[in-house]
Amino acid sequence: MSSTTAQSGLARARRGLAPGGPGGGSQHRSGGLNRKSKLSGQTKRTFFWLLLPSIVLLVLINGYPLIYAGVQATHDGSLIDTGNFVGVDNFATVLSSPAFWKAAQFTLWFTIVGVFGSWLVGLGLALLLRTKIPAGGTFKVLLLLPWVVPIVVSSTAWNWLVATPESLIPSIFRNLGLGTPLFLADPHLAAVMVMVFKVWVSFPFMMMMISAALASVDTTVYEAASMDGASKWQQFTQITLPMIARSTYISWILMTIFCVNDFPTIYLLTGGGPVDATTSLVVLAYRSVFQDFQTGPGVAIAFLMTLTLVVVSVFLYRQIRKSSVE
Amino acid sequence: MNVQSEASRNFSRRGFLGLTAAAAAVPLLAACGGGSSSSSAGGAIKFWDMPWATPAYNDAAKKITEGFSGANSKASYQIIQWNNFYQTFSSAIASKTGPAVSTGGGFQAFQFEQQGQIAYADKVIDALKKNGQFDDFLPGVLEPFKSDKGYVAVPWQLDMRPLWYRKSLFDQAGVAVPTDWPSLLEAGKKLKGIGAVGFATGSGAGNNIGNHLMIMMMINNGGGVFTKDGQLDVMNDRNVEATEFLLELVSNGIIDPAAVSYTSDNLDAQWKNKKAAFGMYVLGVPQRVGDTSGDLLVASPMAGPHGDKATLVFPNNIMMYKNTPSQDASEAFLTYYMGQLKSLWQQKLMNALPVFKSITELPEFASDPNNVKIVKEYQPIAKTFAAQGTSLNANLAVLDGGQALNQFTQTILTGKTDAKSALTAFQTGLQSVLKK
Repeated sequence: MSSTTAQSGLARARRGLAPGGPGGGSQHRSGGLNRKSKLSGQTKRTFFWLLLPSIVLLVLINGYPLIYAGVQATHDGSLIDTGNFVGVDNFATVLSSPAFWKAAQFTLWFTIVGVFGSWLVGLGLALLLRTKIPAGGTFKVLLLLPWVVPIVVSSTAWNWLVATPESLIPSIFRNLGLGTPLFLADPHLAAVMVMVFKVWVSFPFMMMMISAALASVDTTVYEAASMDGASKWQQFTQITLPMIARSTYISWILMTIFCVNDFPTIYLLTGGGPVDATTSLVVLAYRSVFQDFQTGPGVAIAFLMTLTLVVVSVFLYRQIRKSSVE
Repeated sequence: MNVQSEASRNFSRRGFLGLTAAAAAVPLLAACGGGSSSSSAGGAIKFWDMPWATPAYNDAAKKITEGFSGANSKASYQIIQWNNFYQTFSSAIASKTGPAVSTGGGFQAFQFEQQGQIAYADKVIDALKKNGQFDDFLPGVLEPFKSDKGYVAVPWQLDMRPLWYRKSLFDQAGVAVPTDWPSLLEAGKKLKGIGAVGFATGSGAGNNIGNHLMIMMMINNGGGVFTKDGQLDVMNDRNVEATEFLLELVSNGIIDPAAVSYTSDNLDAQWKNKKAAFGMYVLGVPQRVGDTSGDLLVASPMAGPHGDKATLVFPNNIMMYKNTPSQDASEAFLTYYMGQLKSLWQQKLMNALPVFKSITELPEFASDPNNVKIVKEYQPIAKTFAAQGTSLNANLAVLDGGQALNQFTQTILTGKTDAKSALTAFQTGLQSVLKK
């Protein structure tokens, strides 16, 4: 069978099983529009009143802190006293600070490694667990442990594994004749260690998301693709990945938010050090507000983080919609 | 079935309006609840205390608090955890639900005084003069709390930073305990030869000992971060000299190359596992690390190259707030509580020095030779973060827990700098955050 035949077979398989594929999807959307047009004014009002309590609660829960944070970001006060209005001075101070850009750079790397590292590990393990291995359920539970164990416990355990020259991992390196790396004392190694720790903590989440997505893929698609001559790699890249794309983008959005906002993973393992080598934006914001008592600049950092997260989330959300249409 | 009929079937407008009214009332009810809670607590003096030692300490402090009955008032006790304690206090004070009296961070009273929240303790001091406790204070412990407007707080315990050593390691290395900086350098080299750490410290997550060591070495050399009148003075010659010496200790491996990442647990483990031979640490190291064999001892204060001797002390204090059901009751409670402190040391619950001479003479306290040595040799030469000045202020909180000092410490402990560059960065960092 030629490669073209295999490609068309894969395309057929994807079309036939993709939820909301071209035919079904358009019918569904068209049906939705028809139903929408049938809603009477009374029903619309009913829906509005039904939604109103939730909207009010959402505005109170999210709106009030947001507005108050906006006030703090534009004033030079403290946690108790609002202080004087300073306009965008706090934002200017933050954006002109080398510490902010250093933290932003670390946050970017931390997020990239955290999202894609945990996704790759999670994907690999999800695929492995999909095969029939002995005690697969037990492995699944064990693999969830890094996500389940409180971060205070796991960070302490990692500290004992790597912190001192006598710790287990440096001892193994020394016994292998690789020197005694100071994993948390060397700025570069500490940055790597924090990222590895983040991947270790996060991969179970990715594994579960991908496992759930894989469970919805009908195995007959693979049988059809095999009969059409598709190799395992082709099946993976042209069936598995597209079929779990929606779930993948959602998990990327969530993990991006988790990574950017991640305070305990970094703070408990390194405190942001040594010499700010692992200071992320959220750690910097915390230090500004609660250690330097600079409330305005600290909240301004948080605002800039939120803005960035919104932009990234919107971009990834568009990718989800795009993958749904395809 | 269409949507409209489904909605009509399960939904009555009257019922919905009732639900909406109930939902909308939730915040109002919550607000009312908060208000009534606040006013119901109005009668008793709320005393907030930190976990200063084991839970037994808090149990004893609670018992003392609940034993108060004066100025037609009672007192209630609340433990506040150290995690985010400043946020806890700030939020409570801002919402008028905070304590009337509290312990807390070493410079917290000055921070809240700056924001107009502190009630001055002059009447408590007068009461202590009347009952004789004023004259019982150890020399110099009360002065740092006196401001132009009055006493900002009343000290109740001293968190000292003495030097400790492990005798068996010095015996093994065949070297004497350091008495000055040159002998520290010499001893450190020999201790390194037996695999021990000559000057143990740490500056990892949540560990301030490294920060305190930097300032201790500066004031041990007659320097400090502030002048006598409270102006920033980081770049003075004594500080440069102290920093150069610290860098020399790092470059010689006398300070552990991994110390920059050591948490308090890592540092405790070094002392416990007979790795740390000498270093500045907190009170009660033998009890802290579980080695009361007598091998861990307090060393005499070292002399700097110019003959100066000093160490660092944090006079922990009790403060009163303006938001109180009765200022008279707050003052009566604080006076009462100061009179009850002795029992905490009698029960051996405290891991800090007392502020009263009479307590240092208690057999329960004086039976520990390390305690006696610290009171005798360190207390008279101890200086606060304000050194060379004497009065505490809100800026010291920024110095103590702030990024500038932590970054300076970590830069020194990694050894990848020179003294003047590190101090310049330290000064710049402090200038950007200190209130003028």
